[in-house]
Amino acid sequence: MIRISGGTVYDPANGIDGVVKDLCIADGRIIADTDLTPGARTIDATGMVVMPGGVDVHTHVAGGALNFARGLVPENQRAARKFLHGLDRRAGLGGMTPTTFATGYLYAGMGWTTVNEAAVPVLSARHTHEELHDIPIVDKTSLVLMANNEFVLDLLEAGETERAKHVVSWLVWAAKAYGIKAVNPGGVEAWKWGKNANTLHAPIEGYKTVTPAQIISSLATIADDLKLPHPVHLHCNNLGVPGNFATTIETMRVLDGHRAHLAHLQFHAYGGDDWSTMRSESSKVADAFNAQQHLTADAGAVLFGDAVTITADGPWQHLLYQLTGRKWGNLDVENETGCGIVPYVYKDRNLVNAVQWAVGLELLLLIDDPWRIFLTTDHPNGGCFWRYPEIIHLLMNVEFRKDQLQKLPEKARQRILLADLDREYTLSEIAIITSAGPARSLGLSRKGHLGAGADADVTIYPVKPDHGLLFSYPRYVIKGGAIVVEEGDVREVTDGREFIVHPECDAQIEEYIRPLFEKVYTISFANYPVEMERLRHPEVMACK
Amino acid sequence: MGGKITCTLGEVKNRADFIMYWGGNPAECHPRHFTKYTIMQKGKFVPEGRKGRTMVLVDIRETPSAKAADIFLQIRPGKDFEVATTLRALVKGQRVDAALVADTGLTVERLQDITDRMKRARFGVIFFGMGVSMTRGKHMNSGAILSLTAEMNAFTKFVCMPMRGHGNVTGADVVLRWTTGYPFGIDLSRGYPRFNPGEFSTVDLLVRGDNDAALILGADPGATMPQPGIDHLARIPTIVLDPKVTHTSRLARVHITTAVTGVSAPGTSYRMDEIPLPLRPALRSPYPTDEEVIRRIRQAVAAKPAWTPAPGRMVAIA
Repeated sequence: MIRISGGTVYDPANGIDGVVKDLCIADGRIIADTDLTPGARTIDATGMVVMPGGVDVHTHVAGGALNFARGLVPENQRAARKFLHGLDRRAGLGGMTPTTFATGYLYAGMGWTTVNEAAVPVLSARHTHEELHDIPIVDKTSLVLMANNEFVLDLLEAGETERAKHVVSWLVWAAKAYGIKAVNPGGVEAWKWGKNANTLHAPIEGYKTVTPAQIISSLATIADDLKLPHPVHLHCNNLGVPGNFATTIETMRVLDGHRAHLAHLQFHAYGGDDWSTMRSESSKVADAFNAQQHLTADAGAVLFGDAVTITADGPWQHLLYQLTGRKWGNLDVENETGCGIVPYVYKDRNLVNAVQWAVGLELLLLIDDPWRIFLTTDHPNGGCFWRYPEIIHLLMNVEFRKDQLQKLPEKARQRILLADLDREYTLSEIAIITSAGPARSLGLSRKGHLGAGADADVTIYPVKPDHGLLFSYPRYVIKGGAIVVEEGDVREVTDGREFIVHPECDAQIEEYIRPLFEKVYTISFANYPVEMERLRHPEVMACK
Repeated sequence: MGGKITCTLGEVKNRADFIMYWGGNPAECHPRHFTKYTIMQKGKFVPEGRKGRTMVLVDIRETPSAKAADIFLQIRPGKDFEVATTLRALVKGQRVDAALVADTGLTVERLQDITDRMKRARFGVIFFGMGVSMTRGKHMNSGAILSLTAEMNAFTKFVCMPMRGHGNVTGADVVLRWTTGYPFGIDLSRGYPRFNPGEFSTVDLLVRGDNDAALILGADPGATMPQPGIDHLARIPTIVLDPKVTHTSRLARVHITTAVTGVSAPGTSYRMDEIPLPLRPALRSPYPTDEEVIRRIRQAVAAKPAWTPAPGRMVAIA
């Protein structure tokens, strides 16, 4: 039992904006003040800021792709922050692709308590869950890759959308996932023949009729029909390509009123015809987005410095490899998806990188409803998650932002809007884009707020004039009622839970999938679904 | 340059029409590879099976695998790097010196024919074995093949995969990467992981005699290491966990008999393409599992006073 007394509470989901009040915690939940029995530990939070623990709606922290990346960049690991082992602490490394244990310490150390691993193939989901278990403290969800699954595409080609729905449902449960991810719909499948899907309305390579648009709208419908707590999580076609804003806006039109979450929107809001003419089109994308109330998005903001790009978008990574001439990793997964990895450095003197940096911030400033745009860097693609406080500082301080703009090349400054944007985020808006908003989008009703019944995930920051510094070093982090971080040090290592869903599905569908599976896969069918016993702390969330 | 362009084995089964094995003898060393994953399978996009695929074997001698191949390229020992580099040049249309190519045991015309076939393929794959990675040139040879694969993607779909074996070596590699950031050759003596093959890899530690104890799990270095390394294992307290008597267990101070993973102990095995497969024991064993033995050793060690400067404190070094 804990009483947090005298803190200034920002709990936007409950309409509390900077009110000095006490919070009470018992049995891992927030409880009403009157329910706290005497004898509770009191944390004096006078003069401090109290917020719900951060929720990362889109990150890559576990599984085959990230682990592939770890092996590909030992030189980055060598330069990374080191974590010494202790009696209850595991050794590890931070950096671009942190080890699992360090990932938990780093997220918790920053005040984030829930993370969503955004790209899991069914075939290697067992591996992803092993890694998720080894990420301590934070709670986890994961999304399973579906937009290039040949079972689904073949059914769409045959016009069997109802059966496709049951197959998707079966696959979500087989992967013990929380929702559906769609990466470059049709493009990753085309990449298996070395091609891509650049336009939404042309049939994809290897199919007669299926188009990216059809995949997008079918998966959005399926996610709605299955009543998944989180809508289809969409990585649009043409990521990273100059002129792709048109594809993004067309994708919003294709979604036609369905719920959807648009991932790392920054990478999808560029104008121009090629790299030398690339410019920001954030205002057009933001305008289209503002008009579509059923959509949410995350920023996928870019920070200057080292990054490792990891995505299921294989064809884009081949292009990036050709552009950078650096290392390239590629891993195509039979029948399901692909994955590409290219180490990358974002440079402030580089025209393209400067535009990318600006676009991420512009979208965060131009999208007017903070409940629909969330803070991410698409870790580790645009920058590492442990650099989020730098973005918060840029959002909250217009003077600082304008100082940073001066570092960009003159040519880049003519192609962006950032200099004209004077909006400054308030603390309440920061609480929305880092916690309340993503929790709502994920459909995690006990996360992202501090009302009675919520999970007791609370972050307490000491007020500092530098907001970046404020959000870097919470004074206390409480996760599930345990004080896990105090004064910048991990004090207690708890196990996080894994939230999964079990959507409704036709009991006969397994007998439909089995013969197909046996034809195209190379493992036995019994080994395909992840056994429930593989998950150490699962919690099945309702689809309603 | 470089990197790793790969896929899961099912992609090869379903799509590959050009399959090259290089420095390996799958017919004898991976006997199910042809039938389960590569040349003999009928794939979704290769419905004609064997007839729809071209197999090339590159090796220094004519092994039983050569019988399965459509084309066998016998190269001189130690010339893998030169052959791979020549192919890289031909792929890009660069001039090559016929005399230097002749030194590899092949001709420019033969390699040009291979290059043309590679470019004509819809989906090509190169599997490379220890004949590439463990002979003169070592990682330079592998690097040349990895680069060749990456560069082929400017023309058509191309992937490659090392022919790993020795039980669950891939699993050890995968788990070490997520727990420490590195695949092997890891030193934890400073309290955090450091990686330096050649310094921290097992063979180098043993040959130099740097370690003063050894715990050996699921391996038999006493059969494969250089003699100075084996002598060192015999000199120091060596503890072996193994279901069977091995060369290493014979020279160890302690041999703990454990259950056989996959037969009488559960677990996970990672295939060479890093796909995790659950192991379900068919039998029961009177012996403990490796995991149980390690857990009990760990508990006993944890009960001892800590040697770290401030127990339980996490120290971060910028």
